[in-house]
Amino acid sequence: MNAPLRKMAWAILIGFAVLILATTWIQAVAGPGYRDDPRNPRLVAWRVGRERGAITTADAVVTARSDPNPLDPQTFARVYPALDRYAHTVGYVSVLFGSRGLERVREDDLVSHRDSTISGILNALLGGDPRPRGLRLTIDDQLQQAAVEALEGQLGSIIAIDPATGAVLASVSTPGFDPNLLVGPGAGPAGVALEDDPTQPLLHRTIATTYPPGSSFKVITTAAALETGVAGPATEFPDPVELELPGTSATIHNYDDDVCTDGDMVTLAEAFVRSCNTTFAALGMEVGSQALAATAEAFGFNQEIPYDLPVLTSAFPEPSEVAEDPPATAQNALGQRDVRATPMQMALVAAAVANEGNTMVPFVVGDVFTHDGKIESATEPEIWRRAVSPATAAVLTDLMEQTVISGTGRNAAVPGVRVAGKTGTAQVTGAAPDVWFIGFAPVDPEPGERQIAIAVVLEDGGPAGETASGGSIAAPIAADLFGVYLK
Amino acid sequence: MTRNTEAAFILAGTVLGSVGVAMVQFANGVWLDSAVALTFISFVLSFGALHVAFRLWAPNANNLILPIATFLTAIGTIEVFRLDPDLAALQRWWLVFAGVAGGAVIWSLRSSGVAVLRRYRYLFLAAAMVLLLLPLLPGSWPIHGALVNGSRLWVRIDLPFVVRVLSFQPGEVAKVLLTIFLASYLSDRSEAMSTVSRTVGPFRIPEPRHLGPVIAAAGIAFVVLVYQRDLGASLLLFGLFIGMLYVATGRGFYLGMGLVLVTAAGVTAFLMFSHVQVRIEAWINPFADYAGAGYQTAQGLFAMGSGSLTGSGLGLGRPDLIPAAATDFVFAAVGEELGLAGSIAVIVGYGFLVAVGFGIALRSRDRFRKYLAAGLTILLGLQTFLIIAGIVRLFPITGITLPFMSYGGSSLLASFFIAALLGRISHEERT
Repeated sequence: MNAPLRKMAWAILIGFAVLILATTWIQAVAGPGYRDDPRNPRLVAWRVGRERGAITTADAVVTARSDPNPLDPQTFARVYPALDRYAHTVGYVSVLFGSRGLERVREDDLVSHRDSTISGILNALLGGDPRPRGLRLTIDDQLQQAAVEALEGQLGSIIAIDPATGAVLASVSTPGFDPNLLVGPGAGPAGVALEDDPTQPLLHRTIATTYPPGSSFKVITTAAALETGVAGPATEFPDPVELELPGTSATIHNYDDDVCTDGDMVTLAEAFVRSCNTTFAALGMEVGSQALAATAEAFGFNQEIPYDLPVLTSAFPEPSEVAEDPPATAQNALGQRDVRATPMQMALVAAAVANEGNTMVPFVVGDVFTHDGKIESATEPEIWRRAVSPATAAVLTDLMEQTVISGTGRNAAVPGVRVAGKTGTAQVTGAAPDVWFIGFAPVDPEPGERQIAIAVVLEDGGPAGETASGGSIAAPIAADLFGVYLK
Repeated sequence: MTRNTEAAFILAGTVLGSVGVAMVQFANGVWLDSAVALTFISFVLSFGALHVAFRLWAPNANNLILPIATFLTAIGTIEVFRLDPDLAALQRWWLVFAGVAGGAVIWSLRSSGVAVLRRYRYLFLAAAMVLLLLPLLPGSWPIHGALVNGSRLWVRIDLPFVVRVLSFQPGEVAKVLLTIFLASYLSDRSEAMSTVSRTVGPFRIPEPRHLGPVIAAAGIAFVVLVYQRDLGASLLLFGLFIGMLYVATGRGFYLGMGLVLVTAAGVTAFLMFSHVQVRIEAWINPFADYAGAGYQTAQGLFAMGSGSLTGSGLGLGRPDLIPAAATDFVFAAVGEELGLAGSIAVIVGYGFLVAVGFGIALRSRDRFRKYLAAGLTILLGLQTFLIIAGIVRLFPITGITLPFMSYGGSSLLASFFIAALLGRISHEERT
């Protein structure tokens, strides 16, 4: 009568052995995964109270610093003195809402390594500096302020890049938010309100959202034509009121539903300066989806852009998807249909043209400095990819400069500065157009002279709504910022 | 081992608990205060009462039970104190009360032995039923049920002269009473129930009239599940019934039938009740609904993972981030602060206790005592298994307490009753 009792005892003890195995699995094998899971509140609770290094701009404006916490002297409180001006790039560390931006990706540099972990003690014994490092951004605070003011009250984004180095000079996404609201007392309701805000203030529009680039993409279409030899600036195209797309009833119109010049023939140069859709649709079909895609990819589309922060990949349809579909190719050549670009991507397009066809790796952290203010490591500029040949870049520069002198980009002109640019007015179904300006100034800078490439985008036509165009809304903002940066 | 060695081990466990409480205070920057002394005193009174009762009225009792119980209670007390010093203060009162109550059980059985319990089985059955049904009393009565965390298994007593309402979970004690009833019932009927007279196809089945208890067990468990929304208690009761039937009859048929019934009930419950569905989904993927149903399980995993091999140290982890850490998830709190080493020590502690319990059952010459010891051990083992399995995701979260360790007076009382009864049974085998 003890046999079933023995079996029962074994069953329960084997059950306990299984518990030991499962516990070992969870604590020893899967444990580090759970411990380091970003949702583990211990990480944030531990991280938030530690001293972190300062984050400053190129002109020494402090955007983030750690102050001793008045409520708990053993911990530190993070303060963002620039309020909403650097909210997206610098980010925040919050107990309730995790961390974002450089505060997240450069965590290892920013936090103090002064702790009692084995690696911390070893590091201190070996003479390592456990104090937190600071980050110096490449951003110019004056330019950043001007960009924030230019987008005041709008949904949009501005990013400015030094074409020769890839250093980011300004990066603004509006609406912004005050990161201080997410770290102090009362962070809960403030953060939930930001998350629920339909204008998405937390969205980093410069790198984390894409728009149809519209006519600003014609820079790439032209580059493809030049690189393949299909057309040159003087190549002539017919100038119809509307272009019928083969095999469909759809037609392509120009911006004002009229001919581009005189209704007879039009050169590619004239069509570029006036941004004629009919010409570029025809050109796009002639160049073909294969060459268009190759050139777009050379500029960085469909590639992961190497930046300090993760950048959403801009999209141009793979050639195989549109090879047999000339109408689609025609619309893609105009930066519509399936083409989507981040403001970062389009700024890199302008910068590549300015930099003789070479795209530099964009960066916003110029150097990492120690607690004593010594530079520990500085970012070296490097070429990311070759977008076009120097010859093509020179022709594109001419076309873009002419666009600002006499074409759709006239509002981007700055007295005494040679400005090059291209406008874009991207049609969005059911909403006002997204308006663009991409460009750079000055053309052919003297050695040692500053140069700036820029992309400006405003959602839903900005303040002008349905009647907005890139030339009327985005170009004047660019002119303003060129003026601020180049003085 | 003698009773003196037992006393020495109880004292060691008491010191362990008190030093642990002191360490938690050091970690929080507090110098020694009364909590350390009070912990020491409450352990001495509680386990001292049981130990003295053993010495006086069950001198031949197994002397491993109390040392292991002291060790487990000490670990639990430290974590409860770390999570909430106010709860720990209440727990100290419960501990003393449970120790004295356990001693009283041994005293009351001093001359007649546990055999006396056998005679009053229907009284215990009725008492268990009343206790199980108490939480269903309407809210307007002075003694009434209360819905806590979606389960109706609490009873509150509103006393006009006490500010604080008294609340307890009668189900905890009811389980022990039901075990006594079953042991008694089965010791009269097991012969008949194990005779197999019929075959249906390949299955040899007992007389249909002997199936009554099994069906009754399933029924009670299902009623508990439906009306009190208590998945854990119903599984525990059902497992206890089926386990004891098997031990008493040696018929795998009862296990098989139990498995079929529990599966059927489980599937039905899953289809009928959204709270069961939520539990199951949170079990399969706690991170799918991280902010909702899966939150507690996920926090438990984070705690256990953060504890890693050696733990954060007492008072240095953040087990307070786990919901209901002091009751359902005290094991995860131990895992975080004492690491895998502590978790395994705790499981091994329960393993020893279960082994001791089955050892007592195996050596029992009397059928009733054998079944009672087996039943109490199954109860203890199954309860421990279910709640730890829930935390380490072998099983859905059942929301039952960890014997000896979790915060809760009713749970502690039931655990001490089990320890006292096992002690008395082992004493009777050696005299």
